[in-house]
Formats: sequence, C-alpha cells, structure tokens
Amino acid sequence: MNCVELQQSLAEVEDGNSLEQRAHLRSCPACSALLRELRLIAAAAAELQSANEPSPRVWQSIQFALREEGLIRPQRNARPTLPSFSARWGSMRWLVPAAAMLLLALGIYVRRASLPTPLTQQAKVLVPVANASDLNDDDLLQEVAADAPAMRTQYEENLRQVNESIRDAQGVVDESPNDPDARRSLMDAYQQKSMLFEMAMDRSLQ
Amino acid sequence: MTEPKQHQSTEPSEAEAIERAKQGDAEAFRLLYDKHKRRVYSLCLRMTANTAEAEDLAQEAFLQLYRKIATFRGESAFSTWLHRLSVNVVLMHLRKKSLPVVSLEETTQGTEDDTQKRDFGADDVALTGSIDRLQLQRAVESLPPGYRTIFVLHDIEGYEHNEIARIAGCSIGNSKSQLHKARMKLRDLLKMNRAEKAEKSRVG
Repeated sequence: MNCVELQQSLAEVEDGNSLEQRAHLRSCPACSALLRELRLIAAAAAELQSANEPSPRVWQSIQFALREEGLIRPQRNARPTLPSFSARWGSMRWLVPAAAMLLLALGIYVRRASLPTPLTQQAKVLVPVANASDLNDDDLLQEVAADAPAMRTQYEENLRQVNESIRDAQGVVDESPNDPDARRSLMDAYQQKSMLFEMAMDRSLQ
Repeated sequence: MTEPKQHQSTEPSEAEAIERAKQGDAEAFRLLYDKHKRRVYSLCLRMTANTAEAEDLAQEAFLQLYRKIATFRGESAFSTWLHRLSVNVVLMHLRKKSLPVVSLEETTQGTEDDTQKRDFGADDVALTGSIDRLQLQRAVESLPPGYRTIFVLHDIEGYEHNEIARIAGCSIGNSKSQLHKARMKLRDLLKMNRAEKAEKSRVG
C-alpha cells in the first residue's frame, strides 16, 4: 500500500487499523501525521455540538404561531390582584405611553451605544435598560383587566414572555457586548414590550 | 449523544412536560424548548452556515414537534425524536434550495486531487495540539454543502453511517467517502489558517 492508497482506504477504514494500513503507517511518518490530524479534527468536532443559542426572536415566533394555531391553552396565573390602575394613578394615565416611549428611547440609545464603544462604557449604558424591563407591568395589567378582563391573561403571559426575552437577550449582550445580533435581539425585545404598552393604551382609550 | 444538564429545581421532568404539552400547556412547551433549543439551533446553524436560516429552521422544527407531540408515544427518546425531526426539516430545506444534500462525485474530483498534492508538500504546517473552536466552526461553515451535511451529522451530531444513509438518501459507502473528503478539506482549511497566522506573526 502506498500513500495515495492509504488515504483512499481511510474513507472505508477510518481508524487506520486494517493490517495493510498499519503496515504502511509504521513506515510512513507523513501518513501517520495525517491520521493523527484527522482524528484531532473528529474529536474537536464533537465539542461543537449544542454550542449556539438561538435569539429570543425564535421563541417569540414559535409562541405566536402556537397561539395562532390554537395549540396553546392559556394558563391561569395566581398572582395577587393589585389596586386598580385608574385608582392608583388617576390623571397619571399618560405615564403608560410615556413608559413605552422611554423603552423605545432606551432601546435606540442601546443601538447607538453599540457602535465602537469601550466595553466598560457599554456595560454602564445597559444598567438602566435592564431595570426598565419591570416598568409598570402590574399597572398595565390592571388597566387591561379593568377595560377588557378577558384579555388580562393574554397580556400577562405576553408580558412575562417579553420580560424573559429581554433578560435572555440582555444576558447574551452581557456575554458578547460586541455581537450585533445579540444587540439586535435586545432591541427587538424592547420594541415588543413597547408595542404591548401601546396596544394596552390604545385599548384603554377606546 | 449527550444530553443537556438537568437543572436542580422544582421543574417538571421531561416526561411530565411532554404530557402537559400534549394538553396545550404553554409553560410545558417553553420548558421543552429551553431544554432542546441549543442542540436544535446548533444543528441548523452547522448545516446551513446561515444564522437567519438556522433560526427559521429551528422555529419550524419546534413547530412541527409541537404539532405532532400528541403522537409521541415514547418508543424512542424524546431528544432522538426531536433531533431526527430537525434533521429532516433542514434536509428538506436544502433540497428545496436545490443544494446537494450529498456532494456529487464529479464536482469533488478537483478538490480531492488538490488535497492529495498538498498533503505531501514540503512546507506543510503540522496540525498539532488543540484545534481552536472558532476556527473549526468557520472551516465547517466554508465546506461545500454536501460535505458539510455528512460531517455535521457524523462528527458533530454522532450519527452512524447507516443512519446518515437512510436520512440523506445515499449509500453507506457514499456517506463514508463524503465524510473522509470533508475531514481532508477541513484539514486543509485549518492548516492554511495556521500558516496564514504564522506568516502574519512573522511579518508583524
């Protein structure tokens, strides 16, 4: 067996353990090195399994499709009821769209800050954004419950999901601050939350 | 094939989550997704080498899973079932794009000849030590689609040649041959990468 034949035979007997292969490998350092390198590649490849995390967009889309197809049965949530939004805030209802706008503005700020910025500065930029994910959620739910009780569960679930997406996306951004996909996912998550607030406000003003 | 680590918590077991998902429990769908998302998405990403396509395919794989979950009877492991389903989704997608699931022999002859000539070149860079994960990932992405499919299924995902032959619709011999060529091509790519790095550090 010569070197070319050895190479061709590795397709069939990849570990190089046939009698003919072993005879050739004993006398050929180049082919021995080749076999070692192919084994190294195969071993390294196994480490690549499950290495990547999909963006939060994937679950959002799946969840949306599941709802559209009626595959998800909404779950009842046993959270304690809070005083009504209107009673607590009265003429301050304008805070809801303002909160939505603030979320959008923060999102835009994050995107701008994602351009070439030192990592330490980027981390600082993200602090207020992370806190904003809890902004007035209970008030929004109370408002929805007051105007359209049947929609409360839906909004509650949507809020929970979108907050989870923000946390997930923020985690990915924290791990890879310079990854544009991660930042885009975070922006998308904030925009979805902003849309939820706007939808709730539209409903309450009707 | 390895399974993701289980969390120490009050979360329901996978079997419980499957039963609850059959009843339309949103949280159960989410639990199953969280447990398997990395594996499914990584598979899609490796086989397409495209983030957007991989996300769409992972989404499609999970949707198909949830649509069919009522038919899951537990004869095989859930992860195996999901994984096979995901592979089918990706292969179907590649076929729709008219990309070869398995490389055509005539398109690879040149590559093979080139590879053999380079293997015995005087200035070969040795591939020793550990292989950088990112470099390998990029090299896999740059493989021709047919090579990539077989390499991903065998060396990354752990399928046997007889399983690949059945899934990809090729012969076992073809699967073995494609895998060998994929590894040889990867070896070339990784060596070229190392040679370039060595040259850069020598010059710079």
